[in-house]
Amino acid sequence: MAQHLTEKDVRRIAEYARIGLTDEELVQMTVDLNNVIDTLKPITEFDLEGVEPTFHPIGDLSNVMREDVEVAGFSQKVALSNAPKQMDGCFLIPSILGEGGDR
Amino acid sequence: MASFATMDVASIQAGLKAGEFSAREVAEDALARVEAADKQVHAFLEVTPELALAAADKVDAARAAGTLDACGPLAGVPVAFKDNMNLAGTHTTCASRMLENYVSPYTATCVQRVLDAGALPLGKLNMDEFAFGSSTETSAFGTTGNPWDLSRVPGGSSGGSAAAVAAGMCTVTLGSDTGGSIRQPGCFCGVVAVKPTYGVVSRYGVVAFGSSLDQVGPFARTVRDAALTMNALAGRDPLDCTSQHVTCDFTANLDKGVDGMRIGVVPEFMNARGLQPEVKAKIEEVVAKLEGMGARIEEVALPNVHAAISAYYVLGPCEAFSNLARFDSVRYGYCDPGHKDLGGQYEASRSRGFGPEARRRIMLGSYLLSSGVYDKYYYPAQQVRTLITRDYAQAYEKVDCILAPAAPRTAFKFGEISEPAEMYLSDMYTISINIAGNGGMNMPVGLGAQSGLPVGAQLIGPAFKDENMLRVAAALETVYGAAPVAPDFAPAKAGE
Repeated sequence: MAQHLTEKDVRRIAEYARIGLTDEELVQMTVDLNNVIDTLKPITEFDLEGVEPTFHPIGDLSNVMREDVEVAGFSQKVALSNAPKQMDGCFLIPSILGEGGDR
Repeated sequence: MASFATMDVASIQAGLKAGEFSAREVAEDALARVEAADKQVHAFLEVTPELALAAADKVDAARAAGTLDACGPLAGVPVAFKDNMNLAGTHTTCASRMLENYVSPYTATCVQRVLDAGALPLGKLNMDEFAFGSSTETSAFGTTGNPWDLSRVPGGSSGGSAAAVAAGMCTVTLGSDTGGSIRQPGCFCGVVAVKPTYGVVSRYGVVAFGSSLDQVGPFARTVRDAALTMNALAGRDPLDCTSQHVTCDFTANLDKGVDGMRIGVVPEFMNARGLQPEVKAKIEEVVAKLEGMGARIEEVALPNVHAAISAYYVLGPCEAFSNLARFDSVRYGYCDPGHKDLGGQYEASRSRGFGPEARRRIMLGSYLLSSGVYDKYYYPAQQVRTLITRDYAQAYEKVDCILAPAAPRTAFKFGEISEPAEMYLSDMYTISINIAGNGGMNMPVGLGAQSGLPVGAQLIGPAFKDENMLRVAAALETVYGAAPVAPDFAPAKAGE
Protein backbone atom coordinates (compact mmCIF):
# COMPACT_ATOMS: atom_id res chain seq x y z
CA MET A 1 0.00 0.00 0.00
CA ALA A 2 1.35 3.38 -0.95
CA GLN A 3 1.34 6.10 1.67
CA HIS A 4 -0.64 8.84 -0.06
CA LEU A 5 -1.65 10.52 3.17
CA THR A 6 -0.07 10.84 6.59
CA GLU A 7 -2.09 11.11 9.78
CA LYS A 8 -1.27 14.79 9.82
CA ASP A 9 -2.77 15.17 6.32
CA VAL A 10 -5.89 13.29 7.40
CA ARG A 11 -6.28 15.54 10.45
CA ARG A 12 -6.17 18.58 8.17
CA ILE A 13 -8.72 17.06 5.76
CA ALA A 14 -11.02 16.24 8.68
CA GLU A 15 -10.89 19.81 9.90
CA TYR A 16 -11.79 21.06 6.44
CA ALA A 17 -14.69 18.58 6.21
CA ARG A 18 -15.77 19.47 9.78
CA ILE A 19 -15.52 15.87 10.92
CA GLY A 20 -14.17 15.39 14.43
CA LEU A 21 -11.93 12.32 14.74
CA THR A 22 -10.48 10.77 17.89
CA ASP A 23 -6.81 9.76 17.75
CA GLU A 24 -7.89 6.13 17.34
CA GLU A 25 -10.31 6.99 14.52
CA LEU A 26 -7.59 9.01 12.85
CA VAL A 27 -5.32 5.96 12.61
CA GLN A 28 -8.04 3.79 11.04
CA MET A 29 -9.19 6.58 8.71
CA THR A 30 -5.64 7.02 7.45
CA VAL A 31 -5.38 3.31 6.63
CA ASP A 32 -8.80 3.27 4.93
CA LEU A 33 -8.19 6.38 2.84
CA ASN A 34 -4.78 5.16 1.69
CA ASN A 35 -6.34 1.85 0.64
CA VAL A 36 -9.11 3.53 -1.33
CA ILE A 37 -6.75 6.02 -2.98
CA ASP A 38 -4.68 3.03 -4.15
CA THR A 39 -7.70 1.79 -6.11
CA LEU A 40 -8.00 5.13 -7.93
CA LYS A 41 -4.73 4.49 -9.77
CA PRO A 42 -6.33 3.57 -13.14
CA ILE A 43 -7.53 7.17 -13.44
CA THR A 44 -3.94 8.38 -13.45
CA GLU A 45 -2.83 5.98 -16.17
CA PHE A 46 -4.83 7.32 -19.12
CA ASP A 47 -3.47 9.47 -21.87
CA LEU A 48 -6.11 12.19 -21.67
CA GLU A 49 -4.47 14.76 -23.90
CA GLY A 50 -7.25 16.66 -25.68
CA VAL A 51 -10.13 14.77 -24.03
CA GLU A 52 -12.87 17.14 -22.87
CA PRO A 53 -14.24 16.45 -19.39
CA THR A 54 -17.90 15.49 -18.90
CA PHE A 55 -19.08 17.14 -15.73
CA HIS A 56 -22.66 16.11 -16.26
CA PRO A 57 -24.36 13.28 -18.18
CA ILE A 58 -26.75 15.65 -19.91
CA GLY A 59 -24.31 17.87 -21.71
CA ASP A 60 -26.20 19.75 -24.39
CA LEU A 61 -28.52 21.76 -22.17
CA SER A 62 -28.75 25.50 -22.10
CA ASN A 63 -30.17 27.69 -19.40
CA VAL A 64 -33.88 28.44 -19.63
CA MET A 65 -35.94 31.16 -18.04
CA ARG A 66 -39.40 30.77 -16.60
CA GLU A 67 -42.12 33.29 -15.98
CA ASP A 68 -41.56 35.13 -12.73
CA VAL A 69 -44.66 33.86 -10.98
CA GLU A 70 -45.04 33.88 -7.23
CA VAL A 71 -45.50 30.42 -5.72
CA ALA A 72 -45.95 29.42 -2.11
CA GLY A 73 -42.83 28.19 -0.29
CA PHE A 74 -42.23 26.91 3.22
CA SER A 75 -43.70 29.02 5.98
CA GLN A 76 -41.30 30.09 8.72
CA LYS A 77 -42.92 27.56 11.03
CA VAL A 78 -42.36 24.68 8.61
CA ALA A 79 -38.80 25.76 7.85
CA LEU A 80 -38.03 25.71 11.58
CA SER A 81 -39.90 22.48 12.28
CA ASN A 82 -36.74 20.32 12.26
CA ALA A 83 -34.38 22.84 13.85
CA PRO A 84 -32.53 21.34 16.83
CA LYS A 85 -32.62 24.75 18.53
CA GLN A 86 -34.61 27.84 17.75
CA MET A 87 -35.48 31.16 19.32
CA ASP A 88 -37.87 33.95 18.30
CA GLY A 89 -38.53 32.38 14.92
CA CYS A 90 -34.83 31.94 14.08
CA PHE A 91 -32.30 29.12 14.07
CA LEU A 92 -30.28 29.29 17.27
CA ILE A 93 -26.50 28.73 17.20
CA PRO A 94 -23.75 29.21 19.80
CA SER A 95 -22.36 32.73 19.91
CA ILE A 96 -19.83 33.32 17.13
CA LEU A 97 -18.51 36.66 18.37
CA GLY A 98 -16.64 37.62 21.50
CA GLU A 99 -16.13 35.42 24.54
CA GLY A 100 -16.83 31.78 23.89
CA GLY A 101 -16.93 32.51 20.16
CA ASP A 102 -15.70 30.36 17.30
CA ARG A 103 -12.01 29.55 16.98
CA MET B 1 -58.49 -15.75 -4.29
CA ALA B 2 -54.70 -15.73 -4.40
CA SER B 3 -52.80 -13.76 -1.78
CA PHE B 4 -52.24 -10.12 -2.64
CA ALA B 5 -48.57 -10.74 -1.89
CA THR B 6 -48.05 -12.53 -5.18
CA MET B 7 -50.45 -10.49 -7.31
CA ASP B 8 -49.27 -8.12 -9.99
CA VAL B 9 -50.75 -4.69 -10.62
CA ALA B 10 -53.15 -5.90 -13.32
CA SER B 11 -54.65 -8.64 -11.16
CA ILE B 12 -55.10 -6.31 -8.19
CA GLN B 13 -56.90 -3.85 -10.41
CA ALA B 14 -59.00 -6.54 -12.08
CA GLY B 15 -60.08 -7.76 -8.64
CA LEU B 16 -60.94 -4.25 -7.50
CA LYS B 17 -62.91 -3.61 -10.64
CA ALA B 18 -64.82 -6.88 -10.41
CA GLY B 19 -65.62 -6.20 -6.75
CA GLU B 20 -63.79 -9.34 -5.57
CA PHE B 21 -62.07 -7.32 -2.87
CA SER B 22 -61.68 -3.73 -1.76
CA ALA B 23 -58.56 -1.58 -1.67
CA ARG B 24 -58.90 -1.55 2.12
CA GLU B 25 -58.64 -5.35 2.13
CA VAL B 26 -55.50 -5.10 -0.01
CA ALA B 27 -54.00 -2.55 2.37
CA GLU B 28 -54.93 -4.54 5.48
CA ASP B 29 -53.53 -7.76 4.01
CA ALA B 30 -50.29 -6.03 2.99
CA LEU B 31 -49.92 -4.40 6.42
CA ALA B 32 -50.51 -7.78 8.09
CA ARG B 33 -47.81 -9.32 5.89
CA VAL B 34 -45.42 -6.54 6.80
CA GLU B 35 -46.24 -7.12 10.46
CA ALA B 36 -45.49 -10.84 10.12
CA ALA B 37 -42.63 -11.00 7.62
CA ASP B 38 -40.74 -7.89 8.60
CA LYS B 39 -39.94 -9.30 12.03
CA GLN B 40 -37.47 -11.52 10.14
CA VAL B 41 -36.55 -9.38 7.14
CA HIS B 42 -36.42 -5.88 8.66
CA ALA B 43 -36.93 -4.11 5.36
CA PHE B 44 -39.01 -1.32 6.92
CA LEU B 45 -37.77 1.56 9.03
CA GLU B 46 -41.28 3.01 9.40
CA VAL B 47 -44.70 1.58 8.65
CA THR B 48 -47.49 4.02 7.79
CA PRO B 49 -50.84 2.22 8.26
CA GLU B 50 -52.85 5.47 8.47
CA LEU B 51 -51.53 6.68 5.13
CA ALA B 52 -52.08 3.29 3.48
CA LEU B 53 -55.64 2.96 4.75
CA ALA B 54 -56.51 6.55 3.86
CA ALA B 55 -55.24 5.99 0.32
CA ALA B 56 -57.19 2.72 0.14
CA ASP B 57 -60.39 4.44 1.25
CA LYS B 58 -59.94 6.97 -1.53
CA VAL B 59 -59.64 4.18 -4.07
CA ASP B 60 -62.69 2.43 -2.61
CA ALA B 61 -64.69 5.65 -2.75
CA ALA B 62 -63.82 5.91 -6.42
CA ARG B 63 -64.86 2.28 -6.95
CA ALA B 64 -68.20 3.04 -5.34
CA ALA B 65 -68.61 6.10 -7.55
CA GLY B 66 -67.62 4.14 -10.65
CA THR B 67 -64.53 6.27 -11.26
CA LEU B 68 -61.84 3.70 -10.45
CA ASP B 69 -60.18 4.23 -13.83
CA ALA B 70 -59.55 7.86 -12.92
CA CYS B 71 -57.62 6.78 -9.81
CA GLY B 72 -54.48 6.15 -11.77
CA PRO B 73 -52.41 3.24 -13.09
CA LEU B 74 -51.27 2.09 -9.62
CA ALA B 75 -54.67 2.30 -7.90
CA GLY B 76 -54.81 -0.07 -4.94
CA VAL B 77 -51.18 -1.20 -5.27
CA PRO B 78 -49.14 -1.63 -2.04
CA VAL B 79 -45.91 0.35 -2.34
CA ALA B 80 -43.10 1.62 -0.12
CA PHE B 81 -40.22 4.05 -0.49
CA LYS B 82 -36.52 4.02 0.21
CA ASP B 83 -35.92 6.11 3.31
CA ASN B 84 -34.02 8.81 1.42
CA MET B 85 -37.31 9.94 -0.16
CA ASN B 86 -39.36 12.60 1.56
CA LEU B 87 -42.98 11.81 2.29
CA ALA B 88 -44.62 14.59 4.28
CA GLY B 89 -45.21 13.63 7.89
CA THR B 90 -42.96 10.55 7.85
CA HIS B 91 -39.40 10.23 9.09
CA THR B 92 -36.82 10.39 6.34
CA THR B 93 -33.70 9.11 8.03
CA CYS B 94 -31.42 7.92 5.20
CA ALA B 95 -30.76 5.16 7.76
CA SER B 96 -28.52 7.63 9.59
CA ARG B 97 -28.35 8.89 13.17
CA MET B 98 -27.89 12.27 11.52
CA LEU B 99 -31.56 12.29 10.45
CA GLU B 100 -33.03 9.98 13.09
CA ASN B 101 -35.57 12.57 14.24
CA TYR B 102 -36.11 14.38 10.95
CA VAL B 103 -39.74 14.60 9.87
CA SER B 104 -40.34 15.44 6.22
CA PRO B 105 -42.07 18.78 5.78
CA TYR B 106 -42.77 17.98 2.12
CA THR B 107 -43.05 15.14 -0.38
CA ALA B 108 -40.56 14.13 -3.08
CA THR B 109 -41.86 14.36 -6.65
CA CYS B 110 -41.27 10.64 -7.33
CA VAL B 111 -43.23 9.71 -4.20
CA GLN B 112 -46.01 12.15 -5.05
CA ARG B 113 -46.34 10.76 -8.57
CA VAL B 114 -46.72 7.20 -7.28
CA LEU B 115 -49.31 8.40 -4.73
CA ASP B 116 -51.12 10.39 -7.42
CA ALA B 117 -51.28 7.15 -9.42
CA GLY B 118 -53.41 5.67 -6.63
CA ALA B 119 -50.83 3.54 -4.79
CA LEU B 120 -51.12 2.59 -1.11
CA PRO B 121 -48.02 3.74 0.84
CA LEU B 122 -46.99 1.14 3.43
CA GLY B 123 -43.91 2.94 4.69
CA LYS B 124 -40.22 3.67 4.37
CA LEU B 125 -37.46 1.19 3.64
CA ASN B 126 -34.02 0.44 5.01
CA MET B 127 -30.87 1.29 3.10
CA ASP B 128 -27.15 1.80 3.52
CA GLU B 129 -26.56 5.03 5.42
CA PHE B 130 -27.00 7.89 2.94
CA ALA B 131 -26.86 5.16 0.24
CA PHE B 132 -23.15 4.58 0.89
CA GLY B 133 -22.82 0.84 0.56
CA SER B 134 -23.68 -2.32 -1.32
CA SER B 135 -25.18 -4.49 1.41
CA THR B 136 -27.46 -2.33 3.61
CA GLU B 137 -25.06 -3.23 6.46
CA THR B 138 -24.10 0.42 7.00
CA SER B 139 -27.66 1.33 8.10
CA ALA B 140 -27.61 2.88 11.56
CA PHE B 141 -30.85 1.08 12.37
CA GLY B 142 -29.93 -2.56 11.81
CA THR B 143 -29.41 -4.80 8.80
CA THR B 144 -32.01 -6.17 6.39
CA GLY B 145 -32.09 -9.90 5.67
CA ASN B 146 -32.20 -11.33 2.18
CA PRO B 147 -35.59 -13.09 1.96
CA TRP B 148 -33.92 -15.95 0.04
CA ASP B 149 -31.50 -16.62 2.91
CA LEU B 150 -31.75 -14.47 6.01
CA SER B 151 -28.06 -15.02 6.83
CA ARG B 152 -27.20 -13.12 3.65
CA VAL B 153 -27.33 -9.45 2.71
CA PRO B 154 -30.04 -8.13 0.38
CA GLY B 155 -27.48 -6.01 -1.47
CA GLY B 156 -27.54 -2.27 -1.34
CA SER B 157 -27.87 0.48 -0.99
CA SER B 158 -31.62 0.02 -1.71
CA GLY B 159 -31.64 -3.30 0.20
CA GLY B 160 -34.96 -2.68 1.93
CA SER B 161 -36.65 -1.83 -1.37
CA ALA B 162 -35.50 -5.10 -2.95
CA ALA B 163 -36.22 -7.27 0.09
CA ALA B 164 -39.74 -5.87 0.58
CA VAL B 165 -40.70 -6.95 -2.95
CA ALA B 166 -38.90 -10.31 -2.73
CA ALA B 167 -40.70 -11.13 0.54
CA GLY B 168 -44.09 -10.27 -0.96
CA MET B 169 -44.68 -7.33 1.38
CA CYS B 170 -45.05 -4.81 -1.45
CA THR B 171 -45.99 -5.05 -5.11
CA VAL B 172 -43.77 -2.12 -6.07
CA THR B 173 -41.10 -0.13 -4.23
CA LEU B 174 -38.88 2.77 -5.17
CA GLY B 175 -35.12 2.94 -4.76
CA SER B 176 -32.31 5.14 -5.92
CA ASP B 177 -29.17 4.18 -7.83
CA THR B 178 -25.90 6.13 -7.83
CA GLY B 179 -23.54 3.29 -8.75
CA GLY B 180 -25.75 0.20 -8.73
CA SER B 181 -27.95 0.71 -5.68
CA ILE B 182 -31.12 -0.39 -7.49
CA ARG B 183 -29.74 -3.10 -9.78
CA GLN B 184 -27.39 -4.92 -7.40
CA PRO B 185 -29.95 -5.42 -4.59
CA GLY B 186 -32.51 -6.31 -7.27
CA CYS B 187 -30.05 -8.97 -8.41
CA PHE B 188 -29.32 -10.32 -4.90
CA CYS B 189 -33.04 -10.52 -4.03
CA GLY B 190 -34.20 -11.78 -7.43
CA VAL B 191 -36.55 -8.96 -8.43
CA VAL B 192 -36.98 -6.70 -11.45
CA ALA B 193 -35.11 -3.46 -10.70
CA VAL B 194 -34.82 -0.52 -13.07
CA LYS B 195 -32.38 2.38 -13.06
CA PRO B 196 -33.73 4.67 -15.77
CA THR B 197 -31.59 6.96 -17.88
CA TYR B 198 -30.31 9.95 -15.91
CA GLY B 199 -32.93 12.68 -16.32
CA VAL B 200 -36.00 10.46 -16.73
CA VAL B 201 -37.16 10.75 -13.10
CA SER B 202 -37.12 13.86 -10.91
CA ARG B 203 -34.91 13.68 -7.82
CA TYR B 204 -36.61 16.59 -6.07
CA GLY B 205 -37.09 15.56 -2.44
CA VAL B 206 -34.69 12.62 -2.65
CA VAL B 207 -31.71 13.20 -0.36
CA ALA B 208 -28.80 13.85 -2.72
CA PHE B 209 -25.69 11.66 -2.82
CA GLY B 210 -23.98 12.10 -6.19
CA SER B 211 -25.99 14.64 -8.10
CA SER B 212 -24.52 13.84 -11.53
CA LEU B 213 -25.16 10.11 -10.95
CA ASP B 214 -28.32 9.67 -8.82
CA GLN B 215 -31.46 8.32 -10.42
CA VAL B 216 -34.73 6.96 -8.96
CA GLY B 217 -36.40 3.79 -10.21
CA PRO B 218 -38.81 0.97 -9.39
CA PHE B 219 -38.57 -2.58 -8.01
CA ALA B 220 -41.30 -5.07 -8.94
CA ARG B 221 -41.84 -8.77 -9.56
CA THR B 222 -42.91 -8.32 -13.17
CA VAL B 223 -41.48 -6.25 -15.99
CA ARG B 224 -44.90 -4.79 -16.72
CA ASP B 225 -45.34 -3.58 -13.14
CA ALA B 226 -41.95 -1.90 -13.33
CA ALA B 227 -42.86 -0.32 -16.68
CA LEU B 228 -46.23 0.90 -15.34
CA THR B 229 -44.42 2.51 -12.43
CA MET B 230 -41.96 4.10 -14.85
CA ASN B 231 -44.92 5.63 -16.67
CA ALA B 232 -46.05 7.21 -13.41
CA LEU B 233 -42.56 8.39 -12.45
CA ALA B 234 -41.11 9.73 -15.67
CA GLY B 235 -41.12 13.25 -16.96
CA ARG B 236 -40.23 16.83 -16.43
CA ASP B 237 -40.49 18.34 -12.98
CA PRO B 238 -39.94 22.08 -12.69
CA LEU B 239 -38.38 21.40 -9.28
CA ASP B 240 -35.50 19.31 -10.72
CA CYS B 241 -33.74 21.04 -13.58
CA THR B 242 -32.10 17.78 -14.70
CA SER B 243 -35.46 16.09 -15.31
CA GLN B 244 -36.40 15.82 -18.97
CA HIS B 245 -39.59 15.80 -20.96
CA VAL B 246 -40.31 12.09 -21.35
CA THR B 247 -43.58 11.10 -22.92
CA CYS B 248 -42.96 7.51 -24.00
CA ASP B 249 -45.16 4.65 -22.80
CA PHE B 250 -42.71 2.25 -21.17
CA THR B 251 -45.16 -0.64 -21.58
CA ALA B 252 -45.56 -0.14 -25.33
CA ASN B 253 -42.86 -2.60 -26.46
CA LEU B 254 -43.22 -5.31 -23.85
CA ASP B 255 -44.96 -7.82 -26.08
CA LYS B 256 -42.84 -7.27 -29.17
CA GLY B 257 -40.23 -9.92 -28.42
CA VAL B 258 -36.57 -9.73 -29.36
CA ASP B 259 -36.79 -11.10 -32.90
CA GLY B 260 -34.47 -8.96 -34.99
CA MET B 261 -33.12 -7.00 -32.04
CA ARG B 262 -29.36 -6.60 -31.84
CA ILE B 263 -28.04 -7.41 -28.38
CA GLY B 264 -24.47 -6.74 -27.35
CA VAL B 265 -22.24 -8.90 -25.19
CA VAL B 266 -19.08 -7.33 -23.77
CA PRO B 267 -15.97 -9.56 -23.57
CA GLU B 268 -14.44 -7.23 -20.93
CA PHE B 269 -17.43 -7.99 -18.72
CA MET B 270 -17.67 -11.71 -19.38
CA ASN B 271 -13.96 -12.38 -18.85
CA ALA B 272 -13.54 -10.11 -15.85
CA ARG B 273 -11.67 -11.43 -12.85
CA GLY B 274 -14.07 -11.95 -9.98
CA LEU B 275 -17.04 -13.11 -12.05
CA GLN B 276 -18.42 -16.24 -10.34
CA PRO B 277 -18.68 -19.28 -12.64
CA GLU B 278 -22.37 -19.84 -11.79
CA VAL B 279 -23.18 -16.26 -12.76
CA LYS B 280 -21.16 -16.51 -15.97
CA ALA B 281 -22.90 -19.79 -16.86
CA LYS B 282 -26.33 -18.19 -16.32
CA ILE B 283 -25.52 -15.18 -18.48
CA GLU B 284 -24.27 -17.50 -21.24
CA GLU B 285 -27.55 -19.39 -20.94
CA VAL B 286 -29.44 -16.09 -21.29
CA VAL B 287 -27.44 -15.30 -24.45
CA ALA B 288 -28.50 -18.65 -25.91
CA LYS B 289 -32.17 -18.07 -24.99
CA LEU B 290 -32.18 -14.63 -26.58
CA GLU B 291 -30.56 -16.03 -29.70
CA GLY B 292 -33.20 -18.75 -29.71
CA MET B 293 -35.91 -16.07 -29.69
CA GLY B 294 -34.42 -14.42 -32.76
CA ALA B 295 -32.11 -11.79 -31.30
CA ARG B 296 -28.81 -11.14 -33.05
CA ILE B 297 -25.97 -11.34 -30.55
CA GLU B 298 -22.95 -9.16 -31.27
CA GLU B 299 -19.74 -8.65 -29.38
CA VAL B 300 -19.15 -5.02 -28.50
CA ALA B 301 -16.07 -3.51 -26.93
CA LEU B 302 -16.10 -1.08 -24.01
CA PRO B 303 -12.34 -0.58 -23.75
CA ASN B 304 -12.43 2.06 -21.02
CA VAL B 305 -15.02 0.63 -18.62
CA HIS B 306 -12.32 -1.02 -16.51
CA ALA B 307 -11.63 2.45 -15.11
CA ALA B 308 -15.28 3.07 -14.19
CA ILE B 309 -14.96 1.99 -10.55
CA SER B 310 -11.97 4.27 -10.06
CA ALA B 311 -13.77 7.16 -11.75
CA TYR B 312 -16.81 6.51 -9.57
CA TYR B 313 -14.80 6.51 -6.36
CA VAL B 314 -13.49 9.89 -7.37
CA LEU B 315 -16.73 11.47 -8.58
CA GLY B 316 -19.13 9.91 -6.05
CA PRO B 317 -17.26 10.97 -2.90
CA CYS B 318 -16.58 14.45 -4.31
CA GLU B 319 -20.27 14.99 -4.97
CA ALA B 320 -21.21 13.41 -1.65
CA PHE B 321 -18.76 15.68 0.14
CA SER B 322 -20.48 18.76 -1.23
CA ASN B 323 -24.00 17.40 -0.80
CA LEU B 324 -23.42 16.36 2.79
CA ALA B 325 -21.97 19.75 3.69
CA ARG B 326 -25.60 20.79 4.27
CA PHE B 327 -25.72 18.80 7.50
CA ASP B 328 -24.75 21.66 9.76
CA SER B 329 -26.58 20.74 13.00
CA VAL B 330 -28.43 24.05 12.76
CA ARG B 331 -31.33 23.81 10.34
CA TYR B 332 -32.08 20.10 10.78
CA GLY B 333 -30.29 16.90 11.67
CA TYR B 334 -28.35 15.77 14.70
CA CYS B 335 -27.00 18.49 16.97
CA ASP B 336 -24.46 17.44 19.57
CA PRO B 337 -25.47 19.17 22.83
CA GLY B 338 -23.50 21.45 25.09
CA HIS B 339 -21.13 23.21 22.69
CA LYS B 340 -20.16 26.81 23.33
CA ASP B 341 -18.59 27.37 19.91
CA LEU B 342 -20.13 26.73 16.51
CA GLY B 343 -17.05 25.00 15.05
CA GLY B 344 -17.02 22.49 17.89
CA GLN B 345 -20.75 21.88 17.42
CA TYR B 346 -20.24 21.25 13.69
CA GLU B 347 -17.41 18.77 14.21
CA ALA B 348 -19.01 16.84 17.04
CA SER B 349 -22.44 16.70 15.37
CA ARG B 350 -21.02 15.52 12.05
CA SER B 351 -18.66 12.97 13.59
CA ARG B 352 -21.39 11.47 15.82
CA GLY B 353 -24.26 11.88 13.34
CA PHE B 354 -22.51 10.22 10.38
CA GLY B 355 -21.47 6.56 10.50
CA PRO B 356 -18.02 5.25 9.50
CA GLU B 357 -18.68 4.78 5.76
CA ALA B 358 -20.32 8.20 5.41
CA ARG B 359 -17.35 9.77 7.21
CA ARG B 360 -14.93 7.90 4.93
CA ARG B 361 -16.66 9.13 1.78
CA ILE B 362 -16.88 12.70 3.00
CA MET B 363 -13.20 12.61 3.92
CA LEU B 364 -12.24 11.10 0.57
CA GLY B 365 -14.20 13.79 -1.29
CA SER B 366 -12.65 16.49 0.86
CA TYR B 367 -9.19 15.19 -0.05
CA LEU B 368 -9.88 14.70 -3.77
CA LEU B 369 -11.20 18.24 -4.18
CA SER B 370 -8.28 19.83 -2.41
CA SER B 371 -5.90 21.93 -4.43
CA GLY B 372 -3.25 19.95 -6.33
CA VAL B 373 -5.13 16.69 -5.85
CA TYR B 374 -8.04 17.95 -7.98
CA ASP B 375 -5.85 17.87 -11.09
CA LYS B 376 -4.53 14.41 -10.33
CA TYR B 377 -7.88 12.64 -9.84
CA TYR B 378 -11.02 14.76 -10.17
CA TYR B 379 -10.43 16.42 -13.52
CA PRO B 380 -9.01 13.23 -15.14
CA ALA B 381 -12.00 11.26 -13.78
CA GLN B 382 -14.33 13.63 -15.65
CA GLN B 383 -12.25 13.07 -18.79
CA VAL B 384 -12.43 9.29 -18.29
CA ARG B 385 -16.17 9.74 -18.03
CA THR B 386 -16.09 11.17 -21.54
CA LEU B 387 -14.25 8.06 -22.76
CA ILE B 388 -16.68 5.68 -21.07
CA THR B 389 -19.69 7.60 -22.41
CA ARG B 390 -18.13 7.45 -25.88
CA ASP B 391 -17.59 3.68 -25.53
CA TYR B 392 -21.28 3.18 -24.86
CA ALA B 393 -22.34 5.53 -27.65
CA GLN B 394 -20.17 3.60 -30.12
CA ALA B 395 -21.54 0.28 -28.89
CA TYR B 396 -25.09 1.50 -29.47
CA GLU B 397 -24.29 2.19 -33.09
CA LYS B 398 -24.08 -1.60 -33.39
CA VAL B 399 -26.66 -2.86 -30.89
CA ASP B 400 -30.03 -1.93 -29.35
CA CYS B 401 -29.27 -3.22 -25.88
CA ILE B 402 -26.31 -4.70 -23.97
CA LEU B 403 -26.46 -7.81 -21.80
CA ALA B 404 -24.15 -8.19 -18.81
CA PRO B 405 -24.17 -9.67 -15.33
CA ALA B 406 -25.86 -7.35 -12.80
CA ALA B 407 -23.37 -8.37 -10.13
CA PRO B 408 -20.29 -10.60 -10.26
CA ARG B 409 -21.73 -12.95 -7.64
CA THR B 410 -24.84 -13.93 -5.74
CA ALA B 411 -25.73 -12.53 -2.31
CA PHE B 412 -22.95 -12.77 0.28
CA LYS B 413 -23.19 -13.42 4.00
CA PHE B 414 -23.35 -10.69 6.63
CA GLY B 415 -19.83 -9.59 7.53
CA GLU B 416 -18.30 -11.60 4.68
CA ILE B 417 -16.91 -8.49 3.01
CA SER B 418 -15.45 -6.00 5.45
CA GLU B 419 -12.77 -4.31 3.36
CA PRO B 420 -14.31 -1.17 1.74
CA ALA B 421 -12.32 -1.54 -1.49
CA GLU B 422 -13.52 -5.14 -1.89
CA MET B 423 -17.13 -4.15 -1.20
CA TYR B 424 -16.89 -1.57 -3.99
CA LEU B 425 -16.18 -4.40 -6.49
CA SER B 426 -19.69 -5.79 -6.06
CA ASP B 427 -20.81 -2.83 -8.19
CA MET B 428 -18.26 -3.52 -10.96
CA TYR B 429 -20.97 -4.18 -13.57
CA THR B 430 -23.31 -1.35 -12.68
CA ILE B 431 -21.11 1.67 -12.05
CA SER B 432 -20.10 2.46 -15.63
CA ILE B 433 -23.77 2.97 -16.55
CA ASN B 434 -24.16 5.74 -13.96
CA ILE B 435 -20.93 7.27 -15.21
CA ALA B 436 -22.30 7.32 -18.76
CA GLY B 437 -25.81 8.25 -17.63
CA ASN B 438 -27.77 5.67 -19.63
CA GLY B 439 -30.33 3.22 -18.28
CA GLY B 440 -29.78 -0.26 -16.87
CA MET B 441 -31.94 -2.84 -15.16
CA ASN B 442 -31.74 -6.15 -13.35
CA MET B 443 -33.81 -9.04 -14.69
CA PRO B 444 -33.88 -12.15 -12.49
CA VAL B 445 -33.00 -15.24 -14.56
CA GLY B 446 -33.34 -18.08 -12.08
CA LEU B 447 -31.01 -19.48 -9.45
CA GLY B 448 -27.27 -20.11 -9.52
CA ALA B 449 -26.29 -23.76 -9.98
CA GLN B 450 -23.97 -23.75 -6.95
CA SER B 451 -25.51 -21.29 -4.50
CA GLY B 452 -29.19 -21.78 -5.26
CA LEU B 453 -29.55 -17.99 -4.95
CA PRO B 454 -30.99 -15.51 -7.48
CA VAL B 455 -28.81 -14.50 -10.42
CA GLY B 456 -29.52 -11.32 -12.35
CA ALA B 457 -28.98 -10.38 -15.96
CA GLN B 458 -28.34 -6.72 -16.46
CA LEU B 459 -29.84 -5.12 -19.54
CA ILE B 460 -28.34 -1.80 -20.51
CA GLY B 461 -29.99 0.53 -22.99
CA PRO B 462 -28.99 3.68 -24.84
CA ALA B 463 -29.79 6.96 -23.12
CA PHE B 464 -33.51 7.81 -23.23
CA LYS B 465 -34.35 4.48 -24.85
CA ASP B 466 -35.17 2.62 -21.66
CA GLU B 467 -38.02 0.93 -23.52
CA ASN B 468 -35.36 -1.21 -25.28
CA MET B 469 -34.13 -2.89 -22.11
CA LEU B 470 -37.68 -3.35 -20.82
CA ARG B 471 -38.55 -5.07 -24.09
CA VAL B 472 -35.66 -7.54 -23.74
CA ALA B 473 -36.53 -8.10 -20.08
CA ALA B 474 -40.14 -8.87 -20.97
CA ALA B 475 -38.94 -11.45 -23.52
CA LEU B 476 -36.75 -13.06 -20.85
CA GLU B 477 -39.73 -13.11 -18.52
CA THR B 478 -41.53 -15.41 -20.96
CA VAL B 479 -38.65 -17.87 -20.44
CA TYR B 480 -37.81 -17.45 -16.76
CA GLY B 481 -41.20 -16.35 -15.47
CA ALA B 482 -42.05 -13.42 -13.22
CA ALA B 483 -39.85 -12.97 -10.16
CA PRO B 484 -41.18 -15.29 -7.46
CA VAL B 485 -41.73 -14.35 -3.85
CA ALA B 486 -38.81 -15.94 -1.95
CA PRO B 487 -39.85 -19.49 -0.95
CA ASP B 488 -39.83 -18.90 2.83
CA PHE B 489 -42.20 -15.97 2.39
CA ALA B 490 -44.46 -17.33 -0.32
CA PRO B 491 -48.07 -17.48 0.88
CA ALA B 492 -49.02 -20.98 2.05
CA LYS B 493 -50.93 -22.99 -0.54
CA ALA B 494 -53.71 -23.56 2.01
CA GLY B 495 -54.22 -19.81 2.25
CA GLU B 496 -54.83 -19.39 -1.46
